[in-house]
Amino acid sequence: MVATAPPVGSSTEDSTRARPRGRWAGPIYSIAPTLVLLALFLGPMVILLYYSFQKASLAGAGGWTFDNYTSILTDPTYGKVMLTTVVICTISMLIMLAIGLPLAYILAMRTPPRFELLFLLMLVIAEELNPLIRIYAWRMILGRGGVINWTLQTIGLIDKPIDSLLFSSTAVVIVLSTTYISFTTIPIYAALKAVDSDLLEAADDLGASFLTRCRKILLPLAAPGIFVAIILVYIPLYSEFAAPALVGGTSGYMVGNAIQEAILESGNRGVGSAMSFMLLVLSGAVAWIGYRMARIRRLQATS
Amino acid sequence: MSVTTTKIEPEATAGDQRPRGFAVGGREGRSRAAAIARWAFLAIVVVILYGPLLILALFSFNDSIVIALPFKGFTLDWYREALQNPLVRESLKNSLAVALVVTPVALILGTMAAFATTRFRYKGRGSVAALGAGPLIVPWLILAVGALLFFSKLKVPLNLRTIAVMHIVVAFPLVAAIVTARLVRFDHRMEEAARDLGATHREVLRYITLPHLVPALAAAAILAFSYSFNNFVISFFVGGFELTFPIWVFSTLRHAQNVPIVNAISTLVSLAQLLIVYVAWRLWRRRSKKMAANDDPMDMLW
Repeated sequence: MVATAPPVGSSTEDSTRARPRGRWAGPIYSIAPTLVLLALFLGPMVILLYYSFQKASLAGAGGWTFDNYTSILTDPTYGKVMLTTVVICTISMLIMLAIGLPLAYILAMRTPPRFELLFLLMLVIAEELNPLIRIYAWRMILGRGGVINWTLQTIGLIDKPIDSLLFSSTAVVIVLSTTYISFTTIPIYAALKAVDSDLLEAADDLGASFLTRCRKILLPLAAPGIFVAIILVYIPLYSEFAAPALVGGTSGYMVGNAIQEAILESGNRGVGSAMSFMLLVLSGAVAWIGYRMARIRRLQATS
Repeated sequence: MSVTTTKIEPEATAGDQRPRGFAVGGREGRSRAAAIARWAFLAIVVVILYGPLLILALFSFNDSIVIALPFKGFTLDWYREALQNPLVRESLKNSLAVALVVTPVALILGTMAAFATTRFRYKGRGSVAALGAGPLIVPWLILAVGALLFFSKLKVPLNLRTIAVMHIVVAFPLVAAIVTARLVRFDHRMEEAARDLGATHREVLRYITLPHLVPALAAAAILAFSYSFNNFVISFFVGGFELTFPIWVFSTLRHAQNVPIVNAISTLVSLAQLLIVYVAWRLWRRRSKKMAANDDPMDMLW
């Protein structure tokens, strides 16, 4: 090996070099970001936990209690809202995976590079645009005089407009599952991009059918990406609140709406923060499982 | 003192050179059908993603207060009305002001965090990184609720400042993630070589590291800006009575039927955002041509 290779990270030999490169440089760089997060990220989380154990009172806090949690866990209304939320989020996630998986596969393996970049850019830009605008756009499509009802009426399939298209859990599923397609696709795309295409060709040459190739090679290799997509998409879905508020009606009422109502409308901080905190714990659990699975699958895939 | 060996990793092959694709190979009939199916699928996805927005834009020219088919005629009145509406103007002004404050602060904090977690070793580095991942994982609604309770507990008045502060909290970890990805892939030896040739820390930063980070910083800036400009949930909770553009859209739609001026202004805002991305894209293309870049074009995206 060549003798000129420098000892990495030794700042002793030359004092004119970089002062902040010593032992303190790292901590110095991290001070400002860390302080910001400690105060404005951990602070709110701690306050949330605190209020979730406080009795409701006009002054804001009225002594320690478990009531908020017990009332959420025993009240069937909350149970129903939670069930609706789980169903809506899970169906939306499955729809997005059903779109995102083939899309990622096509982009990573089957598209000429020129178009690959173009499509990726289109995906990213779609994500950049204001989500509220997208929700509103769907309202125009699903509404009474909307595109779908008008088309169906014009070709004579229905006599009266279908009212249940909008302001229903179906509408929420439609809106949500078109909102996060990019976030679902891109991690899977990244995972597939790392796949050696020789592997696929070998399988192809050995006569594996398309389905076999999918099951034995593509899916296992895409798995880390799928778990990342679940972390990125499934978790935020649970706290969605603009979409159900604008197109959900009563059947599309989700936990996010319940939290918003408790905190901003009925002023019930205890219940609102207890629900938020439960959602937070749930999110953490999903994120942790997803992260572990992604790592395990990646290790399995590379070994 | 030991001399470290620098491992030389093989450069990743630049792109897949194999002809990919569409109707390649022996089983022609079948692969042709498959190719058509693939294009059709891509087309459907594009329609799902952009179709609704196109319809929204079309209705902004419709000469009727009721948003329903069939079209009544062409008009630009909604644009005139939208641009003259004082609430629209105020909300856009507020959103822009907040995003213009959030973007540079998030860039600086995010870059610092990225350096802190990739370029140095020290006790607690792991905790710094874990803390930075927090705002990326915790749903915004929960952070928003927590922040609202936090500010009201501390008797901080809710206004554009609290909105900006909380936008910074969610935007800078994103910047940090993007810059970190770039720093990790960036060859250390270039910085070390410069140092060995006598460059000071500042010079290394100025002439080696920062120029290399430019695409990542540009992408991060665009994302941070749109994070802030588009953010609804956090602004809604910690904004008090202040109006930002997403809040205006939400409350207009919540309390009324569909309103054509929302179509008009949404079309304009979307076009402006597309324009920003397009300009950035062109600049990046020019830069990468000039540098004959072996830059990965994907770096622009994340």
